[in-house]
Amino acid sequence: MTTLAALEKGHEFPTVPFDLSDQWVGDYVVSVEDEAISALDSGFVPPMAVAALAIRALLEQTSLPPGTLHAGQELAFTAPVRRGETLTVAARIASRGKRAGWALIAVELRVAREGATVMTGRATLSFPAEEGSAV
Amino acid sequence: MTKTITQEKINAYALASGDGNPLHTDPAFAAKTQFEGTIAHGMLLLAYVSEMLTSAFGEDWLRGGRLKVRFRAVARPGDTLTSAGKVTSVEGGKTVCAIECRNESGEVLVSGEAVVSRS
Repeated sequence: MTTLAALEKGHEFPTVPFDLSDQWVGDYVVSVEDEAISALDSGFVPPMAVAALAIRALLEQTSLPPGTLHAGQELAFTAPVRRGETLTVAARIASRGKRAGWALIAVELRVAREGATVMTGRATLSFPAEEGSAV
Repeated sequence: MTKTITQEKINAYALASGDGNPLHTDPAFAAKTQFEGTIAHGMLLLAYVSEMLTSAFGEDWLRGGRLKVRFRAVARPGDTLTSAGKVTSVEGGKTVCAIECRNESGEVLVSGEAVVSRS
């Protein structure tokens, strides 16, 4: 499996589908102790669950270098998502850099339902840069 | 909104999210890193922040919420975290909030801004 450290700026991940099964959403809600979402509507999915599962779908295509840290996150939600829906996630490496011995990579992602965007995001990840690496 | 981090909660989140980075789940591995122990996922902390915003803004957060944060420090098992937000402006149908998540020592772990378009 290709590591994130080997991907160049502009690299586009294949668009992949993922299912927000009732079982998975239930497990997620329990793991984060989210009591607010069920107070709204038991069918709604916490927006961070959509982000987490989208990222999980991406991680199945690449591996993170050891010691990877989450440095920053941007997210924008444009429509509620319900349990049982199937979404797709597309992503690309938006930037690469290096600072004080750490590589910095920004990954932009777009989550859609039947082609219509429901969430966009940008994750900034950092990990120890290898000696002599371009990042 | 207050939550206490445990290794069991971190493990449960790792299982649900598919993020099995040993920095979060393997105490032996994590002990050898700069953190000298396991740390919580950044996205777990954001889940707490998002719950706070869902509680405050309801469905508007789900259909028109924007979040931009930096992770400034790590959360460890045993930490008690408090998420908080303060409205900084309301204009043109948009509510802007400064948000943060602190540990029991008052250290800021997550800080940033949330913007909610109100329907």
